[in-house]
Amino acid sequence: MSEAKISVQNLDFYYGRTKALKNISMDIAPNSVTAFMGPSGCGKSTLLRVLNRIYELYPNQRATGKVFLDGRDILIGGTDLNLLRAKVGMVFQKPTPFPMTIFENIAFGIRLYESLSPSALRDRVTMALERAALWGEVKDKLNASGLSLSGGQQQRLCIARTIATNPEVILLDEPCSALDPISTARIEELIEELRSDYTIAIVTHNLQQAARVSQKTAFMFLGELIEYGDTEQVFENPRQERTKDYVTGRFG
Amino acid sequence: MTVSTSRYRRRLWVNRALMSLSVIAAVAGLTALGIILTILFQKGIGGIDARVFTEMTPPPGSDGGLLNPIYGSVFMTGVAVIVAMPLGILAGTYLAEYGRDARVAVIIRLINDVLLSAPSVVVGLFIYELMVRGRHFSAWAGAMALAIIAVPVIVRTTEDMLRLIPDPLREAATALGAPRWHVISKVAYQAARAGIVTGILLAIARISGETAPLLFTALNNQFWSTDPNAPMASLPAVIFQFAGSAYKNWQDLAWAGALIITAAVLVLNIVARLFRTAEPKR
Amino acid sequence: MDDAAAGAPTASMNKVSRRFARIDAFFRNLTGFAAFGVLAVLAGVIVSLYFGAQLSIDKFGLAFLWTDVWNPVKQEFGALSEIYGTLLTSALAMLLAIPVGIGIAIFLTELSPLIIKRPIGIAIELLAGIPSIIYGIWGLFVLAPFLQVNVQPWIIDTFADVPILSSLFAGPPFGVGYGTAGFILAMMVLPFIAAITRDVFDGVPSVLKEAAYGLGCTRWEVLWHVVLPYARVGVTGGIMLALGRALGETMAVTFVIGNNHRISSSLFAPGTTISAAIANEFTEATSDMYLSALIEIGLILFGITFIVLLIARYMLYRMELRTGR
Repeated sequence: MSEAKISVQNLDFYYGRTKALKNISMDIAPNSVTAFMGPSGCGKSTLLRVLNRIYELYPNQRATGKVFLDGRDILIGGTDLNLLRAKVGMVFQKPTPFPMTIFENIAFGIRLYESLSPSALRDRVTMALERAALWGEVKDKLNASGLSLSGGQQQRLCIARTIATNPEVILLDEPCSALDPISTARIEELIEELRSDYTIAIVTHNLQQAARVSQKTAFMFLGELIEYGDTEQVFENPRQERTKDYVTGRFG
Repeated sequence: MTVSTSRYRRRLWVNRALMSLSVIAAVAGLTALGIILTILFQKGIGGIDARVFTEMTPPPGSDGGLLNPIYGSVFMTGVAVIVAMPLGILAGTYLAEYGRDARVAVIIRLINDVLLSAPSVVVGLFIYELMVRGRHFSAWAGAMALAIIAVPVIVRTTEDMLRLIPDPLREAATALGAPRWHVISKVAYQAARAGIVTGILLAIARISGETAPLLFTALNNQFWSTDPNAPMASLPAVIFQFAGSAYKNWQDLAWAGALIITAAVLVLNIVARLFRTAEPKR
Repeated sequence: MDDAAAGAPTASMNKVSRRFARIDAFFRNLTGFAAFGVLAVLAGVIVSLYFGAQLSIDKFGLAFLWTDVWNPVKQEFGALSEIYGTLLTSALAMLLAIPVGIGIAIFLTELSPLIIKRPIGIAIELLAGIPSIIYGIWGLFVLAPFLQVNVQPWIIDTFADVPILSSLFAGPPFGVGYGTAGFILAMMVLPFIAAITRDVFDGVPSVLKEAAYGLGCTRWEVLWHVVLPYARVGVTGGIMLALGRALGETMAVTFVIGNNHRISSSLFAPGTTISAAIANEFTEATSDMYLSALIEIGLILFGITFIVLLIARYMLYRMELRTGR
């Protein structure tokens, strides 16, 4: 419990009057990959969007309960959202390259909180692209538009952009759902590599993907956390009937 | 069976008759509009020579050009755009980024849309009351009237273009820890740039042909004047004065001026159109 | 309360973030301020015109609206002839432009070969942007003389003995007048109506049309039973928008209306409209009362167009909601 990176306690979430998360409590361990699965509309993406409070962009969305990050409740008023998000990065379902060059895409986040010399900045950009396994493909066209890359490259660009700012937690919201199998495999390898340095939470539709990349798996259904445990246990030996139905493909 | 055949014939006949009417309407309407442009070109092109761009408006019966009204039009349109651009872009930003579906934003949007097509003569009266009455006619007042006409155009297009940008792009920037203003100015504006420029070009096209609000704000000036505190000539105002006169040389200049304005407005519209289609599709 | 939620950010990050928050608040207020500027313009127009018109309002009261007198020498003013001219010319314009505009839209969406569909569509949109003074001088130099010589005498002779039409087309052929002004206004709003109607027609889901064609409907029947009912609100909104423009239009009308403050039932008689009266007389208005009366008719014009445009926008919004755009 004390070693949890993120600790969610009695979390409820509302879209207007609709309750989308019901009394969620769970701990997310550091330096590991936690997968969230469940049918569409089960609240798994919503839960992820609470962890960096990105939902605050929209009126009428509201979370109650407690979410501790390194022992501090991030849901309390007065929380500095910009700093929270600098620490908790997020990659989205569809690639979201900014309409600027590849270099500027990566530098965007770094420049926010650090004023580096041009050479130091270049090093950081290079490092991020290398980590995201994209450097080889783009090193000759850093000044090309980020929109000129393929879908899989764009998604790795977004991951590079996220790790460039040195976050501690990375949230991945179905990062492969818009990608082809080869790009998906590359991203999964990348997640495996990043695990040792970051706390990673990934939402996925794809059961095999959850089984492949994660150490812990949470199964959600209709806004409730049905089962949460070691990935192996959840898939091989689920405790709940509904989890069993889902992982055996009987519904979902 | 014979009954239904005759019924079918009648339906076909009605169809053919009404469709023919629509073709006739289309041909007539398009012809009429074509005639306007043709005559404008015929009458205007004869009056356009080097003198039009180098000499001042003449007194009746002697030769001259349109240099002072061209300068006045460019000056006042320029000032108007400089004033209207930041206001329009910021207001459009509020509606698209902050206000969205909030009630106050809905009301402002509605009012803006109404102002978009409000009579320009009324805007002229407003500026007259505000800046001219008790003082004097001035190019500043003319430019302000034009600015008020330009603002709603820019607000509308800015909002429309910003709304086309998908929310995940904003979320992605926000998720990196970027504050709202940074997301808007560095990402949203960047993505909407071509569209916003289009709106500004359309606004310029709209105000460069406006006449009514200038008549009692900037008035007119037969002479060369660059003093923004004094009355200033403008192409539309000179066309209004010269076309309504009885002098042949003034009427010819009015046609030349009309052709210049139309050409400028058409070019602006076409450039704006190209800008919008050049925008990379996301 | 500690503003550092996330672990222990460095002091410099905290400082940067506090600066961000300040700029954020500033930027938000700036945009909000600009947005309220739009409301301020509206309020400014109403308030300033009201004060400008106060002399006239105080003296003539509500009767200003239905008094038919315009006498700068005696300082007696009433807006009836201007309101009459404004409404009459706009009504004429709509009568001419609506069928033709809808005809063009039908042609473009249902009949025209694909090759000319786009060029004509673009040409119409470009025409909608041409400054109205161009239509004005065209009317003055080309249309009015043409009508005066070739059309009006013939019409006047033809209908001289027909009861109602004889008064509708009475008088000497001036060339300028209500009819000519209405015609020019129609030309001016025509591209506008055609463009908006085409957009609305294009927005009708093609599955609906295909379903009707599948039942064996002719084109006309599809238009009448499927497209028009679906597009009605949007087309009406577009027409109201065009009406708003026609009512407030100044330069297309001023040259060809004839500038006569006398009401006549003849379409060939010279008359005036609100905007034409303001454009023609404002800089020559020598007395305060004269000026005030002109501003009051401007206020009336703003009131009329404001209501028309509000209705137009409301209908277009409803259309947008329906098509989900």
